[in-house]
Amino acid sequence: MSTPRIEPPIHPRIQLAHVGKSFRAAARADAPNDALTDISLTLHPGEFVCLLGPSGCGKSTILNLIAGFEKPTTGDVLLDGKPVTRPGPERGFVFQQPTLFPWLNVLDNVTFGPRMAGTPAAQYLPEAQRYLALVGLEGFERHAPWQLSGGMRQRVALARAWLPNPEILLMDEPFGALDAQTRLMMQELLVELWASIGTTILFVTHDVDEALFLADRVLVMSARPGTIREELQVPFARPRDIESLSADPEFGELKRRVLHVVREEARRAVAKETI
Amino acid sequence: MKFAHRFVIGSASVVGLLLVWQVAAGSGWIDAMFLPPPTEIAKTTLDLLRNGYQQIPLWEHVVVSVARALVAFFASVVIGVPLGLVMGLSPLTSAVLDPFIQFLRPLPKIALIPLMVVWFGIGEMSKFILIFISCFLSVVVGAAAAVGGVSRARMLAAETLGASRHQIFRYVVLPNALPEIFTSVRLSIGIGWTSLIAAELVAATSGLGWMVMNAGTYLRTDVVMVGILLLGLIGYLLDFAIVLTQRAVVPWAGRDA
Repeated sequence: MSTPRIEPPIHPRIQLAHVGKSFRAAARADAPNDALTDISLTLHPGEFVCLLGPSGCGKSTILNLIAGFEKPTTGDVLLDGKPVTRPGPERGFVFQQPTLFPWLNVLDNVTFGPRMAGTPAAQYLPEAQRYLALVGLEGFERHAPWQLSGGMRQRVALARAWLPNPEILLMDEPFGALDAQTRLMMQELLVELWASIGTTILFVTHDVDEALFLADRVLVMSARPGTIREELQVPFARPRDIESLSADPEFGELKRRVLHVVREEARRAVAKETI
Repeated sequence: MKFAHRFVIGSASVVGLLLVWQVAAGSGWIDAMFLPPPTEIAKTTLDLLRNGYQQIPLWEHVVVSVARALVAFFASVVIGVPLGLVMGLSPLTSAVLDPFIQFLRPLPKIALIPLMVVWFGIGEMSKFILIFISCFLSVVVGAAAAVGGVSRARMLAAETLGASRHQIFRYVVLPNALPEIFTSVRLSIGIGWTSLIAAELVAATSGLGWMVMNAGTYLRTDVVMVGILLLGLIGYLLDFAIVLTQRAVVPWAGRDA
């Protein structure tokens, strides 16, 4: 291929040090409004990390802090040793909904980043075509987003976030709104892309299977206020195959363990709500 | 129900009403001075087309009215949309202008006619101002609301792709607001058409509104009805023209992605 190879970043660039986040104006005056307490986390270059936890535990808040959508109340979110102050193209984001721009066609959606940066078309167009081919959307360049299925839209969103060649991709339950089969296919596609491009990925999910299939490292979060309760390396060799993996007794054992922790936290979250 | 079915049933219902009307008015059950039958209205239409009304050709009445409405309408869009956008973006501008707009908006604009006549006479200016105010208020409020209606997720998506504040406005907020702006523009042309007729009813010497008013004083019910039909038809066509433009310019209206 004539396009330049994409070099993975060399240094660990994203770091959270004792990060806490609390929101003002809690629903109830006596309710704890701490979303996160004392989160420390380093993401290594090229690593695929999943944040796993019950809903409302603050997983998405961690992503929002790294993306620069929100500022930490305590501690630091560091990019290259400097605090993150605002969103930037070196931190790509894939939302739960595709969040495409309906007034742009697929190609213009995908090339939104480089076009805003003023990159010449001759430079980004071949790359955009390459990404569209990678996500299986060759020939759909001129389609409007609403003419595509949910899974296809999310693939456009993936290509759009990846085209500016970010250091890290932040993914907030990106396949959560898809049906089970599409979801499996998207997981396989994502791992394939990640393996060939090597971008660091921080992926939020509440699905244990998804986390164990995708990640090198899984961080299990506690109920609110969120802390990282457990950290585990996923031992399965790559490339992984969903079918043989689910037949592996080691996978079953690991899943049982993680599921136990997640369920325990989910019960705690429910108990807190009902007090 | 399918469009074809609806169309057939709708047409049949109109034809049915015309038949009843023809029989009721044509057979003399109802005095033709109160309700001239459709055939007579058709005859009057031909006569008006040939000889005009009060020495003025019918097409001139139509053109005068449409021109008044469109000039004021376009002026209100050209000034109202940018001002609405500024109000939507700047809380200060919005706070300064909002009291006046909120007072004038629910006010029946017809109440302003005497004032317009005193200030601007019965020439074109008073009619222009009245129509302009009516359209303008609806456009400003619509555009201001449209700017505020952009979803946070879409703005964040643009931000993570490196768009600056200016670029977010130009490439996200604006196209996102366009469908809603079009809706308010569509609303305003209806309001403008209504105000035009109100203005012509009171202070004019030509135009469809004047023709209807004038014919009424001479008990020319047939001319009044031709005028009403034309007013309705033109109002419908103006609305339809906006809908066609909307489809061409903002095909993403109502679409999610």
